[in-house]
Amino acid sequence: MGAWWASPPDGGCRAGAATSLWTVVIPLALTVVILALALAAWAGVFAVRDRAVVLRQLWGAAVVEGALLVQAVVAIVVAVSGTQVHDAVTFWGYVACSLIVLPIAAAWAFAERTRWSSVVLVVAAVTVAFLQWRLLQIWGAA
Amino acid sequence: MSAPSATAASTARGPGRVLVAVYAVFALAASARAGVQLVRDWHEAPLAYALSGLAAVVYVVATLALARGWRVVATAAVSVELVGVLVVGAFSLADPAAFPRATVWSAFGQGYGYVPLVLPLLGLLWLRHTRPRPTEPARSTFEPA
Repeated sequence: MGAWWASPPDGGCRAGAATSLWTVVIPLALTVVILALALAAWAGVFAVRDRAVVLRQLWGAAVVEGALLVQAVVAIVVAVSGTQVHDAVTFWGYVACSLIVLPIAAAWAFAERTRWSSVVLVVAAVTVAFLQWRLLQIWGAA
Repeated sequence: MSAPSATAASTARGPGRVLVAVYAVFALAASARAGVQLVRDWHEAPLAYALSGLAAVVYVVATLALARGWRVVATAAVSVELVGVLVVGAFSLADPAAFPRATVWSAFGQGYGYVPLVLPLLGLLWLRHTRPRPTEPARSTFEPA
């Protein structure tokens, strides 16, 4: 259990290319966390005001999903370039989960036109942010 | 399986949708985690990992039952879940040696913000709230001809 934020992982990551990738990974993850929490806050305000999810929020969710897709591509590139993650099965499980959470919440936003669709979007966005934290933990322990 | 109406099942509408969403997240997380533990690390802590597997199955069944409105199945799954989190939680604190590896239910779900403890209580309350009431006192028995 090393401090993942303190230093890049050294196992298989001594090559210059992989180290520069590490400088991409953390800012990208932080971006996803900030965007996801912003979306959660936006949906939270709607939930409190007894309003259903609106289309603009789904565009916001699409932005988060886009960042997640970029991250998945980066993860694949890092894996293909030879960096081994400590716990590969869990890692790819989290990557896959984080990609499907928001689309499901968006589909429900169309089906449930009450404040509860906003609450579901809060749950989904917070789940995405939490998964980022876990992803960084696993990635950092490589 | 057909829902009672053309729209979502009664247990999967309104607040129920949030319940199903949280259950789905836990079903996904517990299944993935239990799968890894059971396949790769079974020998490290057979009891804890068997319980993780059981917890995962219970979450999947509860999610499906709540989403589709299978009330009896949902009530059974959520009840098993409540008993599981209480029993495993108590045992994991009383005899930590028997649980060298954490499960979802260890220490009453402390590792998951106690959501595993709160979820079955909310589930049972929600099932009670949405139960079909064939004899409502407010309904008039008068039938216009």
